[in-house]
Amino acid sequence: MRGALRTVLFAAFAGALALTIGGCRADLPADSFPSGAAVLRLALADDVPTLDPAAGYDAASWEFEQVLYDTLVRYAADSNELRPDLALSWGISPDATVFTFHLRHDASFTNGRQVTSADVRYSIERVINPKTRSQGVQYFLPLLGAADFAAGRTPHARGIETPDPYTIIFRLDKPDPIFLHKLAMPFAAAVPKEVVERWGEDFARHAVGSGPFMLKQWLSGQRLILVKNPHYFLSGLPKLDAVVALIGVNEELQWLKFEAGEIDISSIPPAEFTYVMKTPRLKALTIHHVTAVTSYLGMNCQMPPFNDVRVRQAFNYAVNKPKLVAILNGRGVVARGVLPPGMPGYDPDISGYAYDPAKARRLLEEAGVRAGFAPVVWLTSDPTMLVLGQSIQQDLALVGINLVLKPVAWGPLLDAVREPHTAELFLLGWGADFPDPQNFLEVLFSKEQWGANNDTFYYDPKVQELLTEASVVADPKRRYELYQQIQQIIVNDAPWVFLYHPVAYVIRQPWVHGIRLHPLRPARLDYIYVTARGAEGEQTSGETNQTR
Amino acid sequence: MIRAGRLNWLEIVGGTIALSLVVVALFAPVIAPHDPTRAVAQTFGDPGPPSLAFPCGTDQLGRDVLSRLIYGARVSLIVGLSAMAVAMTVGVAAGLCAGFFGGWTEMVLMRLTDVMLTLPGLLLAMAFVAILRPSLLTILLVISLVSWTGVARVVRAETLSMTNRDFVLAARALGASAGRLMIRHVMPNIMPTVVVMAALSTSGTLLLDAGLSFLGLGVPPPTPSWGRMVEESQIYFRTAPWLAFFPGLAILYAVLGFNLLGYGFLRRRNPQ
Repeated sequence: MRGALRTVLFAAFAGALALTIGGCRADLPADSFPSGAAVLRLALADDVPTLDPAAGYDAASWEFEQVLYDTLVRYAADSNELRPDLALSWGISPDATVFTFHLRHDASFTNGRQVTSADVRYSIERVINPKTRSQGVQYFLPLLGAADFAAGRTPHARGIETPDPYTIIFRLDKPDPIFLHKLAMPFAAAVPKEVVERWGEDFARHAVGSGPFMLKQWLSGQRLILVKNPHYFLSGLPKLDAVVALIGVNEELQWLKFEAGEIDISSIPPAEFTYVMKTPRLKALTIHHVTAVTSYLGMNCQMPPFNDVRVRQAFNYAVNKPKLVAILNGRGVVARGVLPPGMPGYDPDISGYAYDPAKARRLLEEAGVRAGFAPVVWLTSDPTMLVLGQSIQQDLALVGINLVLKPVAWGPLLDAVREPHTAELFLLGWGADFPDPQNFLEVLFSKEQWGANNDTFYYDPKVQELLTEASVVADPKRRYELYQQIQQIIVNDAPWVFLYHPVAYVIRQPWVHGIRLHPLRPARLDYIYVTARGAEGEQTSGETNQTR
Repeated sequence: MIRAGRLNWLEIVGGTIALSLVVVALFAPVIAPHDPTRAVAQTFGDPGPPSLAFPCGTDQLGRDVLSRLIYGARVSLIVGLSAMAVAMTVGVAAGLCAGFFGGWTEMVLMRLTDVMLTLPGLLLAMAFVAILRPSLLTILLVISLVSWTGVARVVRAETLSMTNRDFVLAARALGASAGRLMIRHVMPNIMPTVVVMAALSTSGTLLLDAGLSFLGLGVPPPTPSWGRMVEESQIYFRTAPWLAFFPGLAILYAVLGFNLLGYGFLRRRNPQ
């Protein structure tokens, strides 16, 4: 999933910092819940883009979609292990082309109707259907007959069979060892056909699923309220009665609200982070993990002088990465390669590029880049990004390069990196959608992705050959070996300046428990619970409320 | 009339401030203790408080705030003074022509001025900077573009009051050309007003420049500018208030100086 370089990556709170400092326009409807109800109060900078699983492809949407709907399989709360969800058991053919699932009998949508294999088929066919314009279509096109179905030649995709209401079989046109992970994405979530057809494009506003929560209210730009699904099939979940998310509260305002005890979980603004870490009482309330994200400075390998590998390596030596991490208050791990730690295939022995300006100068000289060269770097106008950009500007000035910053909005930045010969340098990040190196290495460095996700227009015949070979290997050991080999070539070719892997931090109130951060996905809201926080109605947070 | 004579206190204070800024800007490389773009302290991500070594502290990129303030004076003065000069030139020319010729010339010029005046200056400047790429030259031109209108109006009014005075009529009777009348006879008599307007509008252009920088539309980094310094320090407002305080103070100092100077000139002209 595409993401800007950000310090805060608890996905719930990601999203560009809102320019609106207006803040909270809607107060918590405290009276709408009975006293004693377990309500979790959150705040978001930006509105949730959508709650339609076919449409959402960002962390903010997924945080809520993953508790409104169910997929056949899903991840454990804090690891990449797949667990049963709608499916109780499943089998995979040895060549990884046939996937059979046996559904549970006790799952039902919140409109009361049972979830059957036909619903799962309908939901996936809806994503494949070009009329839905879903970005998830790419993950299901390898299904047999998917192209025919998309073209309207067949009523159903041939590769999805539903022999009975509780069995569903997927057949692929070629082996795909990671197809299970694709089925764990919210794109594959079961939606009720009758509700989708009733509301059409407006389904997101009237979301009905089978997950632990259901949508109670979504006022654009104001608040989103989810309430417990009393008929959820897993007993004891969710642990909360409701989740209330205020929308339009920027990071700084979130912090003030957190200190005032008005919200239960908050991100920590850069300026407050050092203070929090120096205060044992607050530090004990933080939760953090290294995200499966790599932040990088991309170099367009087709644009001179960046078509010269020496120039790209020189940039890698010239940028002081530990300094970037220090600027982020240590909320990052220096990147030495493409894959983030925790990702299968991650190679802890990869050496990467140490900070060495002398070596950078030598390489630039060899490549014939003269002092005063002034390349333009594209980046979002997010304040954190601008500070990081200026830090890189400082570093490059020391080797005679006058970097020019070009801050733009998110949309134009993505457009620019998809256009050949447009952006020579750019600051971006990539987060994995599923735990497999293919999701980084093939998606970002194969020739097929030129003009799409291969933003550096990188091409290497050997890499291309190995990528094709690795994608169908089902044996994990062999598979990861091949990907490590690919990664080593890419690191040597240096299409990116490998910057850092962000470390996400959140802080909770003392009465909030059960937050479990997932390496790839937003934290699941259904495991969170709250204990009594003193007299009902009293909104102070006790000792965390002290000011300096 | 410009009268020589003792300087009033407004002129002394305002003039001293303006002069001090010019000196600081001119000799920035000599005065500044450090390079304003380099990291000189290891205060990455955690701004350093004012100390003996760094009297105004260091920012989140380890740069010396005092040196950045000193270099920031350059950008502010270059933009402020040049934009003022361009705005004054355009404004005086438009006002003189409108007041002197009247008729269609006045009609066209003054309606144009009215239209420009209906548009809020900062918004107009933001729109222009967003369309053109931010650079020293575009910022300067955009600020002049939104600042000349007030001058044009005042100059027109002054010119109107001059054109029927005896000395102008006399010169006209002696066969002086329109150009000569405007430059030799009307201009010198409206100069005191123009000087007052120039000093006052400098503080306006300074503020506009700081405003644009604050909104991220000013002179691009790494060139230090006061407005951007305030903007970048916003998030540290509670933990490192000195970061925003010093550049804010610098803006206050400069604007105050030029305003005092302007009022000083005004008092010289109308002693009451």
